[in-house]
Amino acid sequence: MTSAKPCVVLIDDEERILRSLALLLRSRYEVLASTDPVQVLQWVRSRPVHVVVSDQRMPAITGVALLRQIREHSPRSMRLLLTGYADLAAVEAAVNEGEIFRFLEKPWDALRLQDAIATAAQIAVADFADTPAAPAVAAPAAAAPVLVLDEDPLTATLVRSLLPSDCLVATAATVEAALARLEEQEFGVILAELRHSSDDVIGALKLLKQASPRTLSIACSPLRDGRLLIELINQGQVFRFLPKPLGRELLRRALLAALERHAELRSEPQRLRRHAVERPREVSLSGRVLDYLRRIRDQARLRA
Amino acid sequence: MNTSPSSLPAAPAAVAGDAALAALLIPATPLTPRCSVAEAGERFLDPAHANLLSLPIVDAGRVLGCITRHELMLRVYMAPYGRELHGRRPVTTLMNAQPLSLSLATSIEAAGQLIGQRLRRPITEDFVLTGADGCYAGMGIVLDVLRALEIRVGQHAQELEHAYRRLKASQHRLVQSEKLATLGQLVAGLAHEINTPLGYVQNNLAMTRDLLPSADSLVQAGSAVLDAALGEDAAALESSLQQLSAARAAFDPAMFADLTALLDDTLHGVGQIADLVAHLKDFSRVDSAHAEAVDLHGLIDAALRIAGHLLKKNNVQVRCHYGQIPPLRCAPAQINQVLLNLIGNAAQAIDHDSGMVTIRTQTLGGYAMIAVQDNGRGIPPDVLPRIFEPFFTTKPVGQGTGLGLSICQQIVQSHGGRIAATSAPETGTRFVVALPLAGAAARSAP
Repeated sequence: MTSAKPCVVLIDDEERILRSLALLLRSRYEVLASTDPVQVLQWVRSRPVHVVVSDQRMPAITGVALLRQIREHSPRSMRLLLTGYADLAAVEAAVNEGEIFRFLEKPWDALRLQDAIATAAQIAVADFADTPAAPAVAAPAAAAPVLVLDEDPLTATLVRSLLPSDCLVATAATVEAALARLEEQEFGVILAELRHSSDDVIGALKLLKQASPRTLSIACSPLRDGRLLIELINQGQVFRFLPKPLGRELLRRALLAALERHAELRSEPQRLRRHAVERPREVSLSGRVLDYLRRIRDQARLRA
Repeated sequence: MNTSPSSLPAAPAAVAGDAALAALLIPATPLTPRCSVAEAGERFLDPAHANLLSLPIVDAGRVLGCITRHELMLRVYMAPYGRELHGRRPVTTLMNAQPLSLSLATSIEAAGQLIGQRLRRPITEDFVLTGADGCYAGMGIVLDVLRALEIRVGQHAQELEHAYRRLKASQHRLVQSEKLATLGQLVAGLAHEINTPLGYVQNNLAMTRDLLPSADSLVQAGSAVLDAALGEDAAALESSLQQLSAARAAFDPAMFADLTALLDDTLHGVGQIADLVAHLKDFSRVDSAHAEAVDLHGLIDAALRIAGHLLKKNNVQVRCHYGQIPPLRCAPAQINQVLLNLIGNAAQAIDHDSGMVTIRTQTLGGYAMIAVQDNGRGIPPDVLPRIFEPFFTTKPVGQGTGLGLSICQQIVQSHGGRIAATSAPETGTRFVVALPLAGAAARSAP
């Protein structure tokens, strides 16, 4: 049973999808495929599974719900969603509950799918090779600072009211101002409104993840566009998406989860590789903004 | 008497104001208890009091009673020796000590009611108005109250008319948004149904294409060997054998063996997509105004196909028991909408894993009967009578406009048919639609 190849588990309610994918992948991976979520959970519990690729709409369970269970049983398994129709609820859940690595759509592009699985497998193989994570490291004394990028000042006011008073909350109304703050110091979390009167916030978030992978991004917006969000998962590894108007409790929980994750990433830098992103296709940002991003990346490397 | 409101400025003012009696106040100067009957008679002649049937007698703000024109006429002016008998006596001897007294804050409607209950007929007196402290404030005229009431009723009717029109408009908008929501659900379901086969079809074809060159070189190398062998050229045979061996090493026979199964799947997938498109075409057929005689079972099959993702999502089994139904004259797209709605509701009502939707058809007394039955959670008895009401929904906010069944009912009724539901909690729900076999012709008589 032991195999040098990484193990990829496939689940879909259409057997033909499984057969097709298995044939595509079997030369490079040990492929286990099933239409039965119970079987999949069984595999994940009983052996190292490096990558799980799940359908979203299945009769017994949604892909997001299954991936969330898999995360509990096997946090090192990389989770990908492969769905026939990206309804907004599924995408939001994929971000907020599934914390998935990639959101892929059917019909898939074979090369892109293989790329995504290869990246995921590489990360998981490294993770499984690491000695099991040391028992929880003591949380840092103070929470890392939080940056709010929103033209609406009320958002920052709300964030301040939700966090302990010793937690620094900085604000910026433009992408450039935000990057200037990010260059000055490391922020644990950036909360960004995706809609901006002049700037490409989405592009900036994607590039920021490349430049400063440790900073977790929480996107919020009254815009609810599934496509944008899929890009933000695949190219920006957005940590949470919150619809606006912001609910206090949801925002509080998202901020605390992000700060906690940031602390984990500081103490276990190897976990950063799980936040690898696809190269964004096009971003409309000025040269100055790109210069900032370069400097932020250099500093992030120094801090690491 | 002049009944035009313009002759009485007080009445319209009442309507514009807070609709309380204050607006009808006539600040009549009251009589004192020491005033004589003769003096009271003279006071009635004052033009300021021309509209009043009665005058108040007030002492230190407290209303003691009212003296009416009617009483003065009967007892004093028309009775023999009436003036001599009563003229010098205090007015209090002839007054009504319990006149109708209303607070200024009383609403016009309440005043109308009290007047109806308290005043005797014929109406011979008006009523006293008192302030918050119970002290005399002025008089109110019964006729003014009636007029104000009339205006208010008219105004209410107008408000109702406005509200009705607004409701009608927003219902129309909601019907549109329900259609859009249905369309959105449909698109989501179809996208999923099409993208799934498309996913493996595309992938299988790509893999086949990638595999073909190695198979091709193997065949070529094989035939080169054959050529060399037939030509009895030992050197060529040697080199072509080497090529054949290389080609065979590059060839993955296991993959090739799977190719047949892969291509079978691919054909199946393409067939599925073609099926879906065909059903979709049936489904979106433009209505030629009830003109078509349609196979009802074809409509049901199409609706089941379209609702497939809903049924599959909940792992629901479907059983169809079709009777003999002649072609039905109807608006097929509308009937589709009804069927889709009923099937969708049935699928959503089931939250266990042995779900079953049964669809039966039969003819009965000139009607085609379609029964859609589920074994879902059922509809509570208190909810059942309301399910066809527009906007009634038990789904969470944002998940239904509450118009689906109301639109179904409208459609069925416009076909001259009927729709009804029976339900038992935890056992399931059955919807029955009856459509006249004669179709549009039967419904010309309302």
